[in-house]
Formats: sequence, structure tokens, C-alpha cells
Amino acid sequence: MNTVFKRWIKIITLLAALSLFSAACGSSDSDSSSDSSSDSSSSAAASDDEPAAASDDEPEAASDDEPEAEEEEATEEEAAPQPKHGGTIVIATTQVGANVNHGVNSGIGIAQPSSKIFAALTHLDNNWEPQPYLAESWEVSDDSLTITFHLVAGATFHDGAPITSADVKFSIEVIQANHPFTGMWGPLESIDTPDDLTVVLHLATPHPALWIATSDVMMPVMPKHIMDDGTPINEMRGHPNNGAGAIGSGPFRLTEYQNTQKIVLERYEDFFIPDRPYLDTIIYVIVPDEDATMLGLESGEYDSGGYASVINAEKVSNNPDLVAIPDLLGGVGSLNHLQFNMANSIMSDLRVRQAIAYTIDRDYVINTLHQGQTIELLGGIHPSSPFYNEDVERYDVNLDKARSLLYDAGYPDGLDLRINYIPGPNEQQRNVAEYIALALGEVGIRVEVVQAADLPSWAGIFFGGPDAWHMTMNAYFNWGDPVIGVQRAYVCANIRPGVFVNNSAYCNEKVDELLYAAAAEPDVAKRKALYDEFQVITAIELPFYGINALPIFGANQLYVRNQPDGAWGPLSGFENVWLDK
Amino acid sequence: MTDLGIGIESVETGGRGAFRMFLRNKAAVAGLVVFTFVVLVTIFGPGIYGVEAHKMAAGPFLGPGDDAGPLLGTDYLGRDILAGVITGGRTTLFVAAVAGAMAMGLGLVVGSLAGYFGGWVDALLMRFTEIFQAMPSLLFSLVLIYLLGPGTWKETLAIGITLWALPARLTRAEFLRLREMEFVKASRAIGCSDLRIMTRTILPNAMPPLLVAATLLVVIAVLFHAGLAFLGMVDINTISWGSIMGKNKGYALTAWWTVAFPGLAIVTTGLSIALIGDGLQDAFNPKLRGR
Repeated sequence: MNTVFKRWIKIITLLAALSLFSAACGSSDSDSSSDSSSDSSSSAAASDDEPAAASDDEPEAASDDEPEAEEEEATEEEAAPQPKHGGTIVIATTQVGANVNHGVNSGIGIAQPSSKIFAALTHLDNNWEPQPYLAESWEVSDDSLTITFHLVAGATFHDGAPITSADVKFSIEVIQANHPFTGMWGPLESIDTPDDLTVVLHLATPHPALWIATSDVMMPVMPKHIMDDGTPINEMRGHPNNGAGAIGSGPFRLTEYQNTQKIVLERYEDFFIPDRPYLDTIIYVIVPDEDATMLGLESGEYDSGGYASVINAEKVSNNPDLVAIPDLLGGVGSLNHLQFNMANSIMSDLRVRQAIAYTIDRDYVINTLHQGQTIELLGGIHPSSPFYNEDVERYDVNLDKARSLLYDAGYPDGLDLRINYIPGPNEQQRNVAEYIALALGEVGIRVEVVQAADLPSWAGIFFGGPDAWHMTMNAYFNWGDPVIGVQRAYVCANIRPGVFVNNSAYCNEKVDELLYAAAAEPDVAKRKALYDEFQVITAIELPFYGINALPIFGANQLYVRNQPDGAWGPLSGFENVWLDK
Repeated sequence: MTDLGIGIESVETGGRGAFRMFLRNKAAVAGLVVFTFVVLVTIFGPGIYGVEAHKMAAGPFLGPGDDAGPLLGTDYLGRDILAGVITGGRTTLFVAAVAGAMAMGLGLVVGSLAGYFGGWVDALLMRFTEIFQAMPSLLFSLVLIYLLGPGTWKETLAIGITLWALPARLTRAEFLRLREMEFVKASRAIGCSDLRIMTRTILPNAMPPLLVAATLLVVIAVLFHAGLAFLGMVDINTISWGSIMGKNKGYALTAWWTVAFPGLAIVTTGLSIALIGDGLQDAFNPKLRGR
């Protein structure tokens, strides 16, 4: 009886959706509307056996058991067939990047194509150990202050020009001058290029994060002969070689670039690793809607795709035709948090930020909104990092305290604030922002949720002056080492217009001291002590209020082989990926 | 005054007969009943039901009939879908009614001026109307909202402005037809002012087709607002049927109830108004009278 009722309701829904759609499109193009409605009905039919109460299922089953089993299966099968050349992989992504050069900007939308177009000095393997890539070997001096890289001989850029040590030196300089992760190359003193294939780095202090900085997506080797054309080094972000027609050093050439629609990469015949890459073409399709990604994966339209929602993770693990990638980005470490604009006159008051922190129920977000699939975030470093400190101020829910803090701050009648959020991963961003707006209403803070059409328009708030925003949901990634992903968001020197820099305008000399000391501390225990103290201070002073760390899920079709599973996952070269079909 | 009476009287007898005709049309009466019910629910429903639609009522994604949740289930934040449908109707119907009235009013003014005066006034106004007619209305609304920013009044404006071309052309056609009628000539002969002839003599006789058009406009406005909301172009902080569907569209396949019920409300309301309009059209058409 119940199922009959549900089916009936489903038919009505479809009808409703159909009528809405046809009304929205007008009567002129009845052809296209009937096409897409048949699409949606077939996809609805595909998921018809999906129980309506999917959310009641145990989430652990999805995240732990299933993917492992599937992975084993995949590796067993991998042993048998030989890799073959050819084929096109279509990858759906929700991420739009401002360009295709991760050396001048940060962001998944940039990193995805950048890691294919530009080669790095090293790969980072599963155990976070550097492996040869453009550098075939290297030596580290006993005091860890001098590192000598030997480049592969005969490597060329996509225009045929040889890749030399001068290009590597130039690339590091461009990254230093433009990339938001200022900590990455902090202790670098000088670069020597004794010959065309040797690069010597001289460091002021030992730099444990160096091996992340030289790897895959972090170190795109750019063509000096093209980019060093008189453009000031700190304005390389605007250089045309970051967009359409970019000349790179990696396994794939950029052949078509439509920022918000698709990016087409084709095999570079003279890539420096012989017989690679296997694939002929990589097509990134920008699909703004995660659900459309899922439908495309289910129908086979896309070969690979990333998504972030808990519900979709469960769907993939129940689908025998798809291989779930449990954490698409390995240890990149995505932090989901509420960021405050301390340059704003209201938000610069610690009591206001504390009142907000005392009102938000982190447990509700994680256990109810995220169905327990995400991990609580207390300190400023990703919980999987050895440097994470959870022994910090938690600001457990205390509405009375929040109200009295607001009263003390001079807002006895409450106040009006706005909250922004990154469009795309709704469960992490929009839903939490809406929840925060509701929760803050309890203590008299009236919050308007501000939506943005896409990532660049969201990021526009950081260029609009101190009153452009009050608080925003934000997602800084750890990028392997706190020096890279964490330090940039807290040090005074990184307060500047930009995205994923110190957008909170938080400045504390003590915190600066701790972070710089930790960056150069080779001893792990001492380093941890420094980062612990840093997290204690920032958790109290609240430039960010940590909410959760999120796994970023991904899925492949069964025939996608050699999916890179190192630290950078899909953000690495793809020269070994092949299609078994 | 008798000469004016001709026109008005004819409408009144027509009106009474039309009302009888309307009542004979079962579908139209059903539409009227359903629409009245919808309006009453959106006015009194939120007070009676007593659940605040924007607040979290229970856990997220509880299905209809789930004991822990409300009757029609909850959305991704645990908001009550039933409360959302009841409350959301206010925004949707408000926008539809005001946008419809706005389009109708604008259309009446432009159309009657063009139709009554003819000549260069007509040519000028109709070319202007054609500019609006040539633009795809929904896209035009999208652009307007993009420029104005989200907000209930701005959305209303954006929809109303795009829809007035249809009533304008219709009004012009009616005025062109009626201005040469005997009773209009009679009014002119006794020296009535243009304004008086337009509003008192011609307009009442032009009313029947315009009323039908008005119902159609409201239906279009309901669907437009729903469509805009579904595309995420309306204020995320205001609850309307379309915005509930738009916000939950990512979960449509796993939590169907989050989009099904607001969708049902849109379909029901749109259908009922369309049925009323249909009934009115039949009722005003003298050829069908006495059938």
C-alpha cells in the first residue's frame, strides 16, 4: 500500500517537474524539453529501487567496508591486462578555476588541468615519499640545507623548447611571487643552476615541507622563454600562458579552454617519459550540479567524477558499475570552517565572534546534517595531521553566555549580519550556512544568507573592502603540511587581497612567531609543541570557527585503470592512467 | 446618461448570464473551489498549523509518514515540508498576484491608449511593445533579477515587467474593435471626454477577454516565479514553493518528498486558476450561451 502511494507521488512529482520545465522554457522549444524530461524520467527509473529512506541506512557501511572490497577487486584485475594506449576520459567536476596554472593560483578547479599540463620536479607517492618525475635524482646535504636536483635529459615543453634548470628556477620564483601559499618556499635563500640539468636549492633553515612544494601540482614547471617576456614577476597571474594556448611541460597539451564549460587536453607526443601517457584525450566537463555529475556517472556519460555529498557517497558504494574512491584527494585535507572578517568593525570585536561560536552546535552539523560522515574540527590543522591539537577551546553551546557577550559588546537588541558560502558542495557549505543563520537567530543575531552563482563571484567578497562581508563559510585545504595550507591563513604578512590568503585579516605576533618557528623545526616533537600552542591561541581568538574536516569522495567507471592514488590523487599527472575498454 | 447605460447595461446582463454559464461548467467550479481553498490555506494555514517553516522541526530527510517527523517529511535541514508548502504559498501567490496585476495594469494603459488614439501613438506604443514581446520573457526576468538582486518586490517587478506585452496587445485589439461601435460614437457625439469614453464606455465592454487574459497572466507568473526560484535566482532567505524545490533539487532522487509537495502545490494552483480562466472564457462567449 505504502509503495503504491509512493509510486503515485513520484509520478505526480515527475509531472510537476515536467510542467515546470516546459513552462520555464516556453512553448517554442518543445523538442528540447521533451528530450530532457525523458532523460530525467529514465534516471528516475534507474534509481527507482533506491529506498526513499536511504538516509536511514548505516553510513559506516558506505565509507569503510565497501570501497576497500572494491579496491582489492580492482587491483586483482589490474594485474592481468596490459596497459593500452588510446581513448578519451571524460571527467566531471563541479570546480571552476580562474586559469590552468596552479603556480600562480590555488584551487581544485585550477589544480586538475594544471597537474596534467605542467610537470613537477617530483611525484609524491602513497607514503608521502618523493619519487622521480622531471627530476630523475637528487641529493640532500647532511645539514638538510642544500638540495641538488638532476633533471631528465631531453625533456621539452609543448612547443619543443628544452626544459632546463633555468626554467625550474624561474618557475620557483614565479610561485614564490604569486602563489597564495607563501610558506611553501619560505626558507629558500638562493637557487643555483650550474648547468642546464642541475638545480641547487640553498635553504636558510631545514624545510620539511619542501618535498610537498616540489611535488606534482605544487610545482608546475613553466616555460621561461615564453613567460619571462617583461611581465613583472609578481604579476604573472595575469600572464596569457595561464589560459588558452598555454605551453606546458606535462604529459598533456591544452587544446581547448572554456573556463566555465570544458577543458580539453591532448596527449603530448614528446613527453619526457617514453611511451607515456596512455590516454589520447582528457576532457574536463564543468558540471555545476553535483547531482548531474552523479546522473552522468550512472549513465556512463562520464568516466570519472568527484562529488562531496554524503548521500551520493552512499549511492556510489551501492552501484556495482562504479568504483568509489574513498578520499579523492588523499591527504590534501579539506577543512570546513566559518571564517570571520576581522577587518570589519562589527566582527573585529572578539565578543561578537565568541557569541557566534557559543551559539553554533558543531555536533548537530556533524551528526545530523552530515549523518556522522565528517570529522569534528577543533584546531586549525587537519585532524589527520600529526600536528593536530584537539585540546583547545571548544566553545560548547551556551546561549546565555552568547547573549551576555552580545550585550557587553554593545548589541543589546541583537544585530544584523550576512553569511556567505562557497557555491557547489551544498552539504558542507550552503546547508551549514543556513543552519548557522537559523541558530544565530536564537540569540538575536539576524543573519541574511548571501548566495553566489559560482566560486569566482563568491571570492569577489575578498576584494570589496572591510564591509563586503561579515562571515563566510570557507574551505581551506591543508595541502599536506601546515607550512603550506595552514600558515598562509594566519600570518600577518599574508593579509592582502586574494583568495585563500589571510582573508580574516587576523594578526597576532605571537602566532606569527610560533608558525615561523615550527616551519623551520626539523624535530617532529618540538614542531608539534609549537603547532599545539598555535592552535590553542587561534581557537580562542577565532579568526576561524572550525566545524568539520570533510572527505571528498570520487568515483570512476570500472574500466578506468591506474587511477593515481598517491597523496595528490587526481591532481597528479595522469600519464599512467589508461582505459580498459 | 442613458447612452452610457447601453454599454454598462449590456455588460451587466452579460455578466449575470455569464455567471450562470460559469456555474454550469463543472471543471471551472472545481477550479474555483480548489483555488479558494489554496488561498484560504495560505492566509490562515500558517497560524493554524503553528510550525514555523524556516525553523528546524526534526531531523533532516525524514520521509512522510516517518513517526519521528512531521506529516510530509523534512528537508535537508530538518525543516517541515508541510509548513514550508503552507507558508511558501504566501510568497508565490503574492508575487503572482502583484506581478499579474502589474502586467495587466501596464498592458491596459498602453493598449487602451494605442487602440483608442491610433495613428502615431499606436505606432509608437506598439513598436515599444514589440521590443518586449521579442525578448524571451524568462531570460529577461533572469537578467532583471541579476541586475536588481534578489528580494520579493524585485522579483515581482522583474516578472511583472516582462509579461505586460500580452495584455497590451489584447487591450489594443479590443479598443480598436469597440471604438467604432455605435454606442461609443454616441458618447462622443454628446461630448464625453476621451478619458471618460475610454474608462466608462469602452473598457467595461472590453473586460471579458481581458479578465480571461488576467487569469492566464497569474498562472504564468506563478510558473515564472517557481522557475526562477528553481534556478536559484530568488532570495534564499524567503520561503516560496519554487525556492523549496530549488534548494532541495539536489536531493530529488533520494528525498522525493522535498520537491514533490511544493511541486504539487504549484501544479494544483496553476491548474485551478487555468480552469477558472477557461470557465470565464466559455461563459463570456455568447456563441456558447444556451448550449
